[in-house]
Amino acid sequence: MHNQAAIVDEHHHHDSDATDVFGFWLYILTDCILFGTLFSTFLVLNYPGSPGPILKNYSNLHDILIETFLLLASNFTFCLASLNLYKDKLCKVQLWLVLTFLFGAGFVFMEVSEFIHMAHEGFRWDVSGQISAFFTLVGTHGLHVSFGLLWILVMIIQLPLLKITAITKRRMTYLGLFWNFLDIVWIFVFTIVYLMGAM
Amino acid sequence: MLQNLIFGKLTIEAIPYHVPIIMGAAAFMGIALLGVLFLITFYRKWGYIWNDWVVSVDHKKIGIMYMILAFVMLLRGFSDVVLMRSQQALAAGSHLGYLPPEHYDQIFTAHGVIMIFFVAMPFMFGLLNIAVPLQIGARDVAYPYLNSISFWLTFVGAMLCNISLVVGSFAATGWLAYPPLSELYYSPDVGVDYYIWSLQIAGVGTLLAGINFIATIMKMRCKGMTLMKMPIFVWSALCAMILVALAFPVLTVTLGMLSLDRLLDMHFFTDFSGGSPLMYINLIWVWGHPEVYILILPAFGVFSEVVATFSHKKLFGYTTMVWAIVIITFLSFIVWLHHFFTMGAGADVNAFFGITTMIIAIPTGVKVFNWLFTMYKGRINMATPMLWVIAFFTTFAIGGMTGVMMSVPPVDFQVHNSLFLIAHFHNVIIGGVLFGYFAGIIYWFPKAFGFSLDEKWGKRSFYLWVVGFYLAFMPLYVLGLDGFARRVNHYENVLYQPYLIAAALGALLIMLGIACQLIQLFVSIKNRRALRDKTGDPWNARTLEWSVSSPAPFYNFAVLPIATEIDQFWIDKEKHLAEGRIHPKDIHYHPIHMPKDTPIGFIIAMFAGIAGFALIWHMLIPGIIGFLGVVLSIIARTFSKDIDYYVDVETIKKIELQHYKELTNA
Amino acid sequence: MFNKMYKALSRIAFPGGAIKLLCILLGGFFIISLTGCKEHFNGMLDPKGLIAFQERKLFFDTLALMLIVVIPVIIMSFAFVYHYQISHRTRDYKPNWSHSYLLESIWWAIPCVIILVLAVMTWKKTHELEPSLKLSGYGEKPFLVQAIALPWKWLFIYPEQHIATVNYLEIPVGREVEYSLTTDNVPMSGFFIPQLGSQIYTMAGMRTRLHLVANEVGIYEGLNTQFNGDGFSDMHFEVHVVEPSDMQKWVDEVKKSPNSLSDSSYEELLIPSDGDKPKLFGKVTSNIFDNVIHTYMSSMGPTHPRENQLKLHKV
Repeated sequence: MHNQAAIVDEHHHHDSDATDVFGFWLYILTDCILFGTLFSTFLVLNYPGSPGPILKNYSNLHDILIETFLLLASNFTFCLASLNLYKDKLCKVQLWLVLTFLFGAGFVFMEVSEFIHMAHEGFRWDVSGQISAFFTLVGTHGLHVSFGLLWILVMIIQLPLLKITAITKRRMTYLGLFWNFLDIVWIFVFTIVYLMGAM
Repeated sequence: MLQNLIFGKLTIEAIPYHVPIIMGAAAFMGIALLGVLFLITFYRKWGYIWNDWVVSVDHKKIGIMYMILAFVMLLRGFSDVVLMRSQQALAAGSHLGYLPPEHYDQIFTAHGVIMIFFVAMPFMFGLLNIAVPLQIGARDVAYPYLNSISFWLTFVGAMLCNISLVVGSFAATGWLAYPPLSELYYSPDVGVDYYIWSLQIAGVGTLLAGINFIATIMKMRCKGMTLMKMPIFVWSALCAMILVALAFPVLTVTLGMLSLDRLLDMHFFTDFSGGSPLMYINLIWVWGHPEVYILILPAFGVFSEVVATFSHKKLFGYTTMVWAIVIITFLSFIVWLHHFFTMGAGADVNAFFGITTMIIAIPTGVKVFNWLFTMYKGRINMATPMLWVIAFFTTFAIGGMTGVMMSVPPVDFQVHNSLFLIAHFHNVIIGGVLFGYFAGIIYWFPKAFGFSLDEKWGKRSFYLWVVGFYLAFMPLYVLGLDGFARRVNHYENVLYQPYLIAAALGALLIMLGIACQLIQLFVSIKNRRALRDKTGDPWNARTLEWSVSSPAPFYNFAVLPIATEIDQFWIDKEKHLAEGRIHPKDIHYHPIHMPKDTPIGFIIAMFAGIAGFALIWHMLIPGIIGFLGVVLSIIARTFSKDIDYYVDVETIKKIELQHYKELTNA
Repeated sequence: MFNKMYKALSRIAFPGGAIKLLCILLGGFFIISLTGCKEHFNGMLDPKGLIAFQERKLFFDTLALMLIVVIPVIIMSFAFVYHYQISHRTRDYKPNWSHSYLLESIWWAIPCVIILVLAVMTWKKTHELEPSLKLSGYGEKPFLVQAIALPWKWLFIYPEQHIATVNYLEIPVGREVEYSLTTDNVPMSGFFIPQLGSQIYTMAGMRTRLHLVANEVGIYEGLNTQFNGDGFSDMHFEVHVVEPSDMQKWVDEVKKSPNSLSDSSYEELLIPSDGDKPKLFGKVTSNIFDNVIHTYMSSMGPTHPRENQLKLHKV
């Protein structure tokens, strides 16, 4: 049969990297659909004239600006971590990862405080569909960021244990994709939810 | 206080011990389960089951486990059929039947949920797992560990649905749980929560499997196999998985929002405080319509394989068939509104979606003609898989026809939500999906298990299924035209009763058909030595999976094949017919890199199940344990270095030699 | 004994026997369906209203168009399989013949043409038969009926006559009726009088509109098509189509009825019940229909507007 001609055993490792990152891109695609659904629900439930308190009266655009900078900064520090990863400088990687974590944690902390403040003021998720959509959309993004933070922590612990190998480099690639993706989603969030809501 | 944190809303009252039918069913299920557990213990097979099956990341084993799950759940979904058909056959005029509405409403809901999510989907993933990697000349799927997680999550989802029978209740809302009926105000008990969480958990499993198979098909085809040289079944699998990746996130979010409404009093879909039930209906059908195409495309793929193989002829119009699948995939996203023409969206919107719906009939019809002309001037082997194909042509043609009729909005205004609709979708799901999957499982059974299924009992089950189907559903078309609504548990007009009795008889015949399939399984296992597939190619087939032994060695291919043509295996056979096979001692093998089995997939799923159950009953501490268990298991696995190994050349030689001996002695 | 059962089963299930079984069953079904011919059809097949007539015609036209493709497919599927069976040893075996521009053109083109015809028909008819549009050719002002789906009964309010009924509808023959529909304290429902025309969903906080006309005097069935809970199967109502003069007589009779539909008597209707006998209200004292819609549209907060009523299920 084809056995004679086919004495080529593919080197599993080369291909597996490309396959694995492809799979992660597919996951990001599904996450896009997830956020897309949340955005469309948000837009439908926030039709002009829908009853209930409106976001404009309860949100502080200054805080949103600071949160944006925190997230952008965390992306920048993560890029620096990645650069150092490919230079095999483990200490520098750890440093930049810690900074990434701190900026990201700052973002989550500010967002949770904002939510608690809003709820106290009466802008609660059980008052109207508008508000439910707001908390769920922004909250889902925040939840994703929180999972990202957990992942960063795991990498901080894992890198010195498993050392910088093809596998850990791959995981950092995934994390980088994920972290950048969340930043892009945030741009949509503050544009559609906060800026358009403020008009 | 602590009791509340641990048990939430769960009390002993949750077990419906005053409802005899449920208690009877539970007793039956319990006895069956105990029987199985006893047999396993008696034959001392716990180690075997754990080591060879539960922790396996082998796609072939996972495929078989999916099939077993599907068949067991078919029995449960079908018992719902027996209850419903008998109730409707009895409850005419002043008779109310024996099932009160509270119970009947759960039965038709569970029937739909189980058949779609826990029979058809696992059946499909079973076929995909068994066939796709072999057909593309790969050693496994792209992410074997993820594959294991996907299966066990689906399993846990099904178990949650089963538990709802005995602890609490299931949703009584219809299989799509439209709000506002599924909201807290109209459904305050845990039924809808069981619905939500069993589907969410299974849905995550499905989504991961979708990503897995797309990556497998796009990245792991053997050398020479370009996209346009893949078997059609692989094309249909690829497109179905693209639909999964694009549609299932919508389901996850939609069910998630419904769960937030119920858990945190949010207002996504409530009929007050700014909620929009219409949004749910739109979203759920944006998922729901692609879902039915997810089910039918692999069935179409099976038909392509079976028709070509059993006609001993090349599939007609390969390129057209591929384009037809792609067009269907694309179109399936722009038809969803035809499920609710009667909502009053206006003529422009209704007409648009009606027209897009009927356009899908064109590529579908083209496929049918291509299959017919594959048979034309062929030499057709009338084995059972081919019988299912023949039944499919007529049955699916009728079902598709009624579908196009309903896609005309004014016609739909008469037959929407009537038994006409029920007859239509069962027509296409049974005639298309189920007949296709049955053909597929008989076709690939020898490859999976090493012996064929008994033909005699296969034919018997076939006739009973087909006659039963027509008897069960043709009367429903007539009743639907007469204005008989669906989901009705009793009716005034006694003139309808003969039709419903005929339908019940049809269901009885189908039940006998299923019994024959069970008997077929037992008889085949009993006679497995006589039915042994020695060559690995019992049907004289065309694609790569038939070039290895039956069952396939755990590494699939000792040497990865090279495929430069469509149906490469068939071409090889034509050329090498006189040359005979090569003795393993003349082949140079290399060590094969394989993934290691792991229990983590099973463990993650178990924790997910605990978390799901806890969410349903508002049990805080078990919920936290479940959630933490999932997260920590995932993290723990990432620290493991022991995830793969190499198969040494001696082992490979031994296995290949065994197959060669059997092949040459055949 | 098991052997005897097995043998009996084998004899029935054996292919030759299966065909006999098939014939018996289908024959039996045919006979059953014959009894149906004499039966009083309740639906589209025995239309009594303009819209239903048109829908029936559209149904059969569509069926005919589809059969153009379906019948040849069914015939070919049996003919080809039968003719080319291995045992028939046909000489024209062409194992590699898998392509033909001519055949592909035919079976792409013909379905495309049929669907094109169907699409044009669909666009036209969907616009003509749009439920919310006034019927053409009925110049007279339509007769107004407001319908509210309640747990598990229908309330009909006649806004111009200031009367109301439960589970009973009386309308004049030959005159267009405009239905305004909504729901209260029950999930989404579907209003349907099969012999008169289209069904339409009824939803809380919203108004859907339906225009129908009855062309023949008689009593017809109305029902709910959208499952909305345990009392769904009983949500039927009688539709009496009468001459305009009889209509006026009936309205006058109802006005004599002591019941009046006020906000408080309406609240009693919100309590779940099923299988309600027809009820008549001689007076309607407030704008109930618009109030109901407004109640849902302006609501806020976690409590359902009807929470003070009895819950539908005992928790």
